[in-house]
Amino acid sequence: MKKWFENFHENWRHLNRKLKIGVVLTVVMLLIALISQFWTPYSTTAMDSSRVMHSPGLLHWMGTDNFGRDVWSRVTAGSGMTYLVAGLTVLIGFVFGVVIGSLTGYFGGWLDEVIMRLNDMLLSFPSVLLALIFISFLGKGTLNIVLALGLLFIPSFARIVRSEMIRYKERDFVRSARILKISPLRIIVFHILPNARVSLLTTAAIGFNNAVLAEASMSYLGLGVQPPTPSLGRMLSESQSYLFNAPWMAIGCGVWIILIILGFSLISDGLKEEGGDEQ
Amino acid sequence: MSENRSTTTVNQEARDILLSIRDLTVSFPIRDDEPEIRETILDHVSFDIPRGKVVGVVGESGSGKSMTSLAIMGLLRETARIETGSIDFDGIELVGLDEKTYRGLRGDELSMIFQEPMTSLNPVMKIGPQVEETLQLHTKFSDAEIHKRAREALENVGLEDVDEIINQYPHQLSGGQRQRVMIAQAMVNRPQLLIADEATTALDTIVQARILDLLREIHEKSGVSILFISHDLNVIRRIADEVVVMYHGQVVESGTTSEVLDHPKEAYTKTLVQHAPDVDTLASGHPILRMEHVNIFYDDGFSLFKKREKEQIVKDLTLTMYKGEILGVVGESGSGKSTIAKVLTGLNTCYDGLITFAEDRPQMVFQDPMGSLNPAHKIGWIMTEALRGQKLSRAEKKEKVIAMLHAVGLEESFYDRMPRQLSGGQRQRISIGLCLLTGCGFLIADEAVSALDVTVQSQILELLLDLHKKHGLSILFISHDLNLVRHFCHRVAVLKDGELVECASAEELYRDPKSDYTKALLAASVAKG
Repeated sequence: MKKWFENFHENWRHLNRKLKIGVVLTVVMLLIALISQFWTPYSTTAMDSSRVMHSPGLLHWMGTDNFGRDVWSRVTAGSGMTYLVAGLTVLIGFVFGVVIGSLTGYFGGWLDEVIMRLNDMLLSFPSVLLALIFISFLGKGTLNIVLALGLLFIPSFARIVRSEMIRYKERDFVRSARILKISPLRIIVFHILPNARVSLLTTAAIGFNNAVLAEASMSYLGLGVQPPTPSLGRMLSESQSYLFNAPWMAIGCGVWIILIILGFSLISDGLKEEGGDEQ
Repeated sequence: MSENRSTTTVNQEARDILLSIRDLTVSFPIRDDEPEIRETILDHVSFDIPRGKVVGVVGESGSGKSMTSLAIMGLLRETARIETGSIDFDGIELVGLDEKTYRGLRGDELSMIFQEPMTSLNPVMKIGPQVEETLQLHTKFSDAEIHKRAREALENVGLEDVDEIINQYPHQLSGGQRQRVMIAQAMVNRPQLLIADEATTALDTIVQARILDLLREIHEKSGVSILFISHDLNVIRRIADEVVVMYHGQVVESGTTSEVLDHPKEAYTKTLVQHAPDVDTLASGHPILRMEHVNIFYDDGFSLFKKREKEQIVKDLTLTMYKGEILGVVGESGSGKSTIAKVLTGLNTCYDGLITFAEDRPQMVFQDPMGSLNPAHKIGWIMTEALRGQKLSRAEKKEKVIAMLHAVGLEESFYDRMPRQLSGGQRQRISIGLCLLTGCGFLIADEAVSALDVTVQSQILELLLDLHKKHGLSILFISHDLNLVRHFCHRVAVLKDGELVECASAEELYRDPKSDYTKALLAASVAKG
């Protein structure tokens, strides 16, 4: 990785277009989200009754909402929360998924059977429904949303990692490592996972998308980020009532969600193509 | 002509002697400008070549073996002088024979093949005309007949695609092919005596063994007598009926091969036999692996929905392998060969019976060179993994790995390459190096060369043989290819449906297979060539 950046110009040129566009889009979106945490053109929470539901113009690029708050400021600041929630969710799912998937996939046996059947049960429920059940136990709030969604993301990651383990564990280079008496843990971490990195990254990117949507839907249902903190999902749900009077409220949020997801989708597709060349 | 001669030749002895050398003494001037200060190169050399036998002449370089063959061919340098003695070839005295008669004999009744075919084949002449030329010089056949005979000669030496080879130049052929062409050229006139002077020395072991087999086969078919000159006792042992041991221009000892090489009388022969790298007998009697009544099963693992099943793959296998041995395991696919490898390396633990190792478990070289190296890492990293058990600093490890790269015939630059940048043969070299880095002296090669093309295959086998000789490596060589195993292994175990059919020394197994299954396998492999 370090070497890759030393030769950044050369290596960047050889990446496929999807990956380049995806990375650029995501980096720009992340920067905007980051800056908006410290500075926005207008306050994200201060209401101004003199500017209620202004249509987009020079002063307010995305217009204002029913309380006279600047939609652009709220969308960009809200996207920061979306990235944070989605990132943490994917992180939890990823870490636990890799651990569970690696162990069950590599060792197999009865534990694998039991855990994978549990996995199948979890996967067979619609994720939003499950998240609702978790939230009803845990209570509302940003942290709880992260926990609930993270838990829900574990099975799909575990399944992918497990299948990668099964794919590689009977390969000759892994057998060779076993004959060399290298410990199973080291085989998993250093011999197999580096080979699975492309599918792991691809899965993570897709998982990120799902997490963004899940966070949005949870907030839309009023279970996630609590007002007045801006959140894309909640803003979308609030804009619903004004869809005919102030469509820009919904359009601003919607476009932002689409852009976030587009970035990750392109990265995921691009990674798949890069990985295809390698194997 | 040959009928004529066999009736006129009357031998007093019981043996039918084709060529008899008596008291041959040859001297050379030490320096060219002083022709009278001479050195004796051959000193009262006497031996016979019986008709239809292969006589091996063995000795160090400078022992006079090549000089003897040149004297027979009448090709000694001008400055050489035959001081005493006679060479009687089928009733013709060769010493002092006029050049014209000699020329008639050479290439017709007497013929010779040399060490390096490249120097004795005409580089600017196609193979076909080159073989035909010999016939044109010595016979009065029609062109069509000559063409036919040349073709036959090339086919008889086991060359495939004769049509193609006829139109090729020597440099387009492999070393083994060139040697075959030269044998074809030497045999095309159906000579009485063929002299082979270190004819297989320049070839690698596998090709060498094939050429020796070919010579033996030609000898048996055509009844040609062969004078086979070599410094390599193992080669002589393989091909010769009788042996003449030479030292400093003198014949030290002569007799049948088993007499001379197994029960040498003279001190010199004894040391010669002792120092020969011994490939046919086991270097040590210490078993490195013992398998007693071993049954191996295939276990399909745990599942909630299915009864756990055990399928027996190998039945009641009892086999001992010795340290420093190359043991071949042969069988068709499904015979359980690879299953044995898995059990021995510890990959499969589902067996009963007794398996004991004298040292560590064996390391293994896999069949598919594409799959056996981790595609995500550099060669250096992969090889360093083999050193994990050893307490060495990072620099020491790197040094060891690079030394091993050299040992398996690769350059230092391979350290930083990725497996996908390597060819199949190079990857197999890395795999071998990986096994050796662990310090393990016991290697399992599971079809390790089957996926490689023929040239690379023999290079890898060479490497294994080389390491075997240098480090006393014990190798369990699993293969479906009987031809490979024959030339490579000391002993061969034949497996069929998980049962040991027979196990014998490679020579014995091929000469005299006990079971019908082995016979069938052999027949099939001969048919394949």
